[in-house]
Amino acid sequence: MRVLVIEDEIALRDSLKEQLAAAGFTVDVASDGEEGLFAALEFPLDVAIVDLGLPKVSGLEVIRQVRAQRKSYPILILTARDRWQDKVEGLQAGADDYVAKPFHFEEVLARVQALLRRAGGWASPELVCGAVALDTRAQTVKVNGAPVELTTFEYRILEHLMLRAGEVISKTELTERLYDEESERDSNVIEVLVGRLRRKLDPQDTVKPIETLRGRGYRFALARSPTT
Amino acid sequence: MHSLSRRLLVTVSVPLALFFGVMMAVLDNGFRELTDRSLQQLLDSQMVALIAAAEPQPDGKYAPESNDLAARLRTPRSGLYAQIVSARNKAVWRSPSSAGAPIDFGRPLAPGSRDFVYSTNGHERIEIESRGIEFEDRTGHVQLTFSVAASLTPYEQQLWAFRRQLFGWFSGLMLVLLAALAGLLRWVLSPVRRMEREIHEVEEGRSEALGAGYPRELSGVATNLNTLLIGERNRVSRYRDTLGNLAHSLKTPLAVMRAALASNNSVSGAVLNPEIDRMSAIIEHQLKRAAASGGALLGQAPVDIGEILTELRSALLKVYAGKDLSIELVVAPGCQFVGDRGDLTELLGNLLDNGCKWCRVVVRLTASVDGSFATRERLSIVVEDDGPGISSEDRIRIGQRGVRADEAVPGHGIGLAMVQDTVEMYGGTLTIGESATLGGARFALRLPGR
Repeated sequence: MRVLVIEDEIALRDSLKEQLAAAGFTVDVASDGEEGLFAALEFPLDVAIVDLGLPKVSGLEVIRQVRAQRKSYPILILTARDRWQDKVEGLQAGADDYVAKPFHFEEVLARVQALLRRAGGWASPELVCGAVALDTRAQTVKVNGAPVELTTFEYRILEHLMLRAGEVISKTELTERLYDEESERDSNVIEVLVGRLRRKLDPQDTVKPIETLRGRGYRFALARSPTT
Repeated sequence: MHSLSRRLLVTVSVPLALFFGVMMAVLDNGFRELTDRSLQQLLDSQMVALIAAAEPQPDGKYAPESNDLAARLRTPRSGLYAQIVSARNKAVWRSPSSAGAPIDFGRPLAPGSRDFVYSTNGHERIEIESRGIEFEDRTGHVQLTFSVAASLTPYEQQLWAFRRQLFGWFSGLMLVLLAALAGLLRWVLSPVRRMEREIHEVEEGRSEALGAGYPRELSGVATNLNTLLIGERNRVSRYRDTLGNLAHSLKTPLAVMRAALASNNSVSGAVLNPEIDRMSAIIEHQLKRAAASGGALLGQAPVDIGEILTELRSALLKVYAGKDLSIELVVAPGCQFVGDRGDLTELLGNLLDNGCKWCRVVVRLTASVDGSFATRERLSIVVEDDGPGISSEDRIRIGQRGVRADEAVPGHGIGLAMVQDTVEMYGGTLTIGESATLGGARFALRLPGR
């Protein structure tokens, strides 16, 4: 999952970046509204965390412009101004949720994960497609109830595919979600990772959870199980 | 007397009535003296004529010749009567006009003396003049008493007619004067009334300041009042901005501190994190409370509740998108809150947020305005949910005054303490109970509205 953090306070930004990365996200950061707006419009993001009090372009304005450009990924507001009037304003501008400062990182993470799930149409933090169950909070995967050990990258790819189970996701999109803008990319890595994932999830090659659509990308083929 | 114009009308009409009263008394007196004198003249002239005309008669009486008598003395009941009494033989002559009228002309008088008396003749009042006369004639020494009586009725009638006329004119004049005065006052005081109306409009939030074009005596007051209004509004908004900025600028460093503690996982985190929590709760509670305006400012427009609720509802539905809930708004049309928009948003936001947090499926907000309540409790807002409700001990704790943020009921947090504070600042009431229809918590607010 690729997340953009727009926050002008250096210590806060660094800490968020570090902790989000530790939680398995690919993190882009911006330190003011202008830079943030550029990143928000240009990068293939899954979620953005926006501080409302930003220099140059206000957080509200960033959100408005992002929505005006028909970007629909979820946006979480970080704000020290948490009167309801401010919250309502932010949510009306197009944000999806807010966290008031000073926050616990766990709170931010929980909100971000909930937003991502909701964006993919999942109601519960546990994504279940047939035999494969992925817990977004614990970042664990089970097949038929048995735990499967995945590397961070493998997990990220699986989470991304499962969140949007049934949709075709291109190799580029997956690459972009593994690497932030500063990292070097290698699209062959995706093929290797998907291959490893298939072997780990489906050693006998009977269920075939991940389909390859030549020239278009991958699709998680197992149907979503109705959540209880 | 709380009205300037009434005060003026009364203070003017009392001396006016007094003046007219004295005038009437003086005129009445003058008129009476005038009629008295003319009556006197009539009696005198008749007396002189009678004395001149009196001649001794064969029967020893003194009597005027019938031809010499004034016509009125010859006509019965004419209102003019005469009598001549001779002292010697008590012979009495009476004028033909007094026929059938038993008039008592009084005792004979000593020569040279003169007397005026009032008497009655049946229903009419009369004035009698009598004179004693002594002279020598052929028969010798003669003493006579001449009396002339005149009816007062025509004079009295005249007097009453005069009085009626006088009273009519004077009271008419007074009415006209008072009406003119009232009209004048209306005109003179119209700027004051306008000022009163405009202040009322400012109070109700229909206008922001007093208009221009007041007369010189009032323009200073109007200008000062406007300065005061604008100054107060600016002061309050500056004050709130400052507090908001203060809260904002304190929270960011706290967030940085927390982030720093989280990233190095030191022991101090266990000590410092609760302190950061406490500090942020204090900022949250105390600064927000100070920034709440707590009352309607003059010139502030009443706030439409429906609009705020619609915004809050869509915001909350977004925030609680992961929960299958329904927020029902039952708002009577035209419900308005008299006070600050931010305060109301905060109140409703906290209550609805609390409802969303605790409800199973339904949060219902009912708002209405009841004119039979005092202004400051006219607006009723009830927020109910179908959640577990609040235990009676917790209800009491939330309702207590001065419960500090960090002591507030766990789980309901500072939101409700904030609600309680704001409601108190507006002089309203907050009642916490159990929802009869939904089974969960029920928060009933009474706030200034219209």
